[in-house]
Amino acid sequence: MTTPITTGETTTDWSLLERVARQDEEALSALYDRYSGLVFSEAKRILRDTGAAEEVLQDLFFQVWRTAAKFEPSRGSLAGWLLVAARNRSISRLRQSSHVEALDESSVSLGVNVESHAAQRLLLEKVRTVMEALPEGQREAVECAYFEGMTHTEIAQKTGQPLGTVKTRIRSAMEALKKVLG
Amino acid sequence: MSSTEHILREDLELLALGALPEQEAAAAGAHVVSCPECAARLAEARGSAALLAFAAPQDHPAGTVKAELMSRIRASRESERHYAWPSKIEGTRDAKVATKRRRSWWTWLLAPAAVSLAAVSVALYWQNHKMSIELEQQKQAADAVIQNRQEIEKFVSVLAAPDTMTVRLQGMGDAAKSSGMVKFNSKAGMVLYQADLPPLPPDKSYQMWLVPAKGTPIDAGLIGPGGNAWGSMWTGEVPANTEPKAFAVTVEPVGGMPQPTGPKVLVGTT
Repeated sequence: MTTPITTGETTTDWSLLERVARQDEEALSALYDRYSGLVFSEAKRILRDTGAAEEVLQDLFFQVWRTAAKFEPSRGSLAGWLLVAARNRSISRLRQSSHVEALDESSVSLGVNVESHAAQRLLLEKVRTVMEALPEGQREAVECAYFEGMTHTEIAQKTGQPLGTVKTRIRSAMEALKKVLG
Repeated sequence: MSSTEHILREDLELLALGALPEQEAAAAGAHVVSCPECAARLAEARGSAALLAFAAPQDHPAGTVKAELMSRIRASRESERHYAWPSKIEGTRDAKVATKRRRSWWTWLLAPAAVSLAAVSVALYWQNHKMSIELEQQKQAADAVIQNRQEIEKFVSVLAAPDTMTVRLQGMGDAAKSSGMVKFNSKAGMVLYQADLPPLPPDKSYQMWLVPAKGTPIDAGLIGPGGNAWGSMWTGEVPANTEPKAFAVTVEPVGGMPQPTGPKVLVGTT
């Protein structure tokens, strides 16, 4: 369970969410300023379309506005949920599917506090370093899964590798990523 | 995988990445719902997968996106305030008071407006009705003027026509000192005449007859009540192209007769 904390002068996501639940527009604005870059970049990477990514971003934060009261800190971090939800929405859009991740349906434990831009920059550097260090096959496998929405079977077909190899590559890449979290 | 068997770690990672085929993902999802331990592990796996988002090239959305979002939110709030307010406070004492107050406010505003609107509607109806009547009267007057003008033009054309004949009428019997004159145009079938005759009892009328060359006399109108006057002249119509032999005036019952029955008082031959 993530305990809401205030780091320095940064207001926690949880306290902002509580205010959003009370229809505080400034609180939503603060959350948007905090995470819109990450969410937009992720959606744009998947959709490869600026306008579509901006729509995903706006829809996602509008959902936060409407359903903030349903979010519980025991379900994980807001940042994690935003990134997973943005990914799922983008993949659904890419595949023209109507599936939408509800705010209270998925728990995401990001395992790291990214409530400040400084923390985000630090994590960005670490993830990039890890990804650049990954063998090409591993990086391709996880990127196909996460950014392209491909199943392991589809990745195996695309890369021409056995299914077992694909699974191993994905598992190895994920193990490397977890090291980022310390 | 059965519903009671925990999900393998590698499958949890694949599930978190969205890389499990649909059927396997559905089965894993069904298990997670009833297994807090796997649900917690899946939440962690999702967090690890979400780190991949940090591998995306970083960019920033246009400033208009946030402006649109905030506008959307305000519009949503306005909409909810407009539609949801009554239901949110419904049933409470404050709600009833608030509703009553709002009703009173609307009543005070709308009642005079409704009365004014009704008054204006009635006034407009009567104004429209009055204007319709006046318009119809003016139309009838205009029609009468047009008809009168057409008759005048016809009379003038008959009087000025070169083929219009003039027949002098001479008094006879009790009206021996009387006289008269007829203007007749055969093509138009128009008879115009003047007569200087003594007054008649109320139950009698002077009636003009065209006596054709062949056939019986033709009614050419009444002199006095029931007759058509034009200025100092009387008018009558007969079938066009009738060739007259003479014109005569007789005394008939008031309203006239189809054929002469009374004594002749004026006679003139063509």
